[in-house]
Amino acid sequence: MTQTDIWTERYRPGTFEEVVGQQEIVKRVKSLVQAMNIPHLLFAGPAGTGKSTLALIVVKQLFGENWKQNYIELNASDERGIEVVRQKVKDFARTKALGNVPFKVIFLDEADALTREAQQALRRTMENYTNTCRFIMSCNYSSKIIDPIQSRCVVFRFRLLEKKDIASVIKRIAEKEKLKLSDDVFETLYESSEGDCRRAINLLQATASISLDINAEMINIIASSSKPTNVKVVLDYALAGDFPSAREKLLDVMLKDSVSGTDIVKAIQKEIWLLNIEPELKVKLTEKTGEIEFRMVEGSDEFVQLQSLLASFVLAGKLNKL
Amino acid sequence: MSSLAEKYRPKKYAEMLGQEKAVIELKIFLKEFPKKKALLLYGPPGTGKTTLALVAALENEAEIFELNSSDLRNRAKLEEILKPASLQTSLFKKNKILLVDEVDGVTGTDIGGIPELIRIIEKSSHPVIITGNDVWQTKLAPLRPLCKMVEMKSLTTDAVAYHLKKIADKENIAENPHFLRQVALKSQGDLRAALNDFQAYSIDKDSLIINQDKRHREDSIFNILKLLFQERQDFLELFDTTDMSLDEILLWIEENIPREYQNEALHKAYGALSNADVHRGRIYRQQHWRFLIYQNIFQSAGIAYAKDRPKQGFTKYERPKRILKIWLNNQKSAKKKTIAQKYARLVHCSIKRVMRDFELLKPIMQKPEVQSQLRLEQDEVEFLKR
Repeated sequence: MTQTDIWTERYRPGTFEEVVGQQEIVKRVKSLVQAMNIPHLLFAGPAGTGKSTLALIVVKQLFGENWKQNYIELNASDERGIEVVRQKVKDFARTKALGNVPFKVIFLDEADALTREAQQALRRTMENYTNTCRFIMSCNYSSKIIDPIQSRCVVFRFRLLEKKDIASVIKRIAEKEKLKLSDDVFETLYESSEGDCRRAINLLQATASISLDINAEMINIIASSSKPTNVKVVLDYALAGDFPSAREKLLDVMLKDSVSGTDIVKAIQKEIWLLNIEPELKVKLTEKTGEIEFRMVEGSDEFVQLQSLLASFVLAGKLNKL
Repeated sequence: MSSLAEKYRPKKYAEMLGQEKAVIELKIFLKEFPKKKALLLYGPPGTGKTTLALVAALENEAEIFELNSSDLRNRAKLEEILKPASLQTSLFKKNKILLVDEVDGVTGTDIGGIPELIRIIEKSSHPVIITGNDVWQTKLAPLRPLCKMVEMKSLTTDAVAYHLKKIADKENIAENPHFLRQVALKSQGDLRAALNDFQAYSIDKDSLIINQDKRHREDSIFNILKLLFQERQDFLELFDTTDMSLDEILLWIEENIPREYQNEALHKAYGALSNADVHRGRIYRQQHWRFLIYQNIFQSAGIAYAKDRPKQGFTKYERPKRILKIWLNNQKSAKKKTIAQKYARLVHCSIKRVMRDFELLKPIMQKPEVQSQLRLEQDEVEFLKR
């Protein structure tokens, strides 16, 4: 394999032994792979906890040198519509696997991005090609995967990485890349990546592009400057009663920083408790936020719903002053 | 008596008032034909789109073959009429121009109309001139790349007034300039409307100012918004007076609520709009059209009763800006997306996630080694420098 200068790739574990955290899961998956026959697998868990990494290790162990011919990776949140997925699966599954393993592997990343209808269709596809193909699926929430699919898979639940796990990954990279890290860097990286290993490594590399001598403050600066426009600004305008500006900023965040409505509503929910307003109002606003999130999940227009939420903040701002 | 608009419809390029630029573009189009097979003239009503097409035929001694939206019913009909016309040369004259008038009037019921029109354009051995008001609708998207696009702008009030004066002279009507100017002003650059008004009101001048007719679609949405935001009534049938869809009206309301309502009323109004939107979503997902009733009530009565008492005064409403902004943004982020695609493929994650973390990943992607591993094009490298 060609060497890459993207650290998340360069330092991606290539064997079961190198995987950090998730010890139980690694042990069980390893024993499945050693039998040279795997069932369909479903990896559920937060971002940056090793789902894709483990999937890649599985295929490399199964197929050795030939792994690239026997493996495709589809991302459900990017592939538009189930038809594309089906067609690709079909084309891929038509030919026999190379080597001594009788099946190929399809990795369907972010499978929870598929609608229920698409999942139903996928279920049939899984059945049709069960002799020639194994699916490894990943998702954030297994509850978003329909039962018939779950029941056809062995489900593994990935936990958030602990502070010591992230620290050990960072230490290894720092050694290889000859970085000088101050002691507080590990804590800061863990905090601002929220246990997402990919994000922690990206943060480290982005900071290292400025200086090889890294301290916590630098990490914080990079983390906050690369953060999409804070929803706090949007909320501040709304609380001050300036709805038009709040709305303008909201649209900016959604368009320029490509943040989805559901991510914004999550950020707002977290931000409420940090606001300088009456606690009762916080409860009221949280109630409204929950309702708005529900409506968006149900398929309403994100921007209309978020404006309605902002109007509640305008009102709360007014009540708070009284 | 025949309509003044018809009687004084221009017959030469030189008579095309205030549209000199469009005339030049049209001449270039005809000269270069078949470099582009079709010309799409677009602009507000009464700016001379159809007239320009007819003038082009007269000036080139061409026979015009005209189709308007009511003819363009379906693919079968279109094929029958337009196809032979586009392939044969005319029996009597050498030249022929196909005119497809009011292409944006092609609605959902004219199934296959647009795709068939596209096939015709591709095959046609004669220039095709298409006119339309709102040519930026999605259903016309496949048509646009095939056409040379020429905009016909609204005429200035002065230009309309000047034209009215000339016609008044020819008709031997002595009108005072003030009246002509008022007619011109009211027309908002629609010369046909101005001529019709002129004809109607020269008999009864007092009616001009009092009569609030809905000449434009936008006029009527502005009136609807004024009623909705300023009066307190049920308004359950308010939207029947426009041909705009409920969803489109929803966008107009969404844009303009903060121009009329503050605080409590703002909150209630967006609450109602949010409810309307929830039902809109359910209609689409479950194809249960009865929910339209709820959407209608929430976005009419719900908005009207959001305030405690009726309001007065003039508010300048604006067209919904969101759709345009989304479009502009998509244009801008196209490059970002191609970079994200390449990066995502390399690191086994979704394009969406790369787009979201783009700012963080930027310093990493600025490294020359990474750029060559990503196989970035020169323009993508440039994009990352910004």
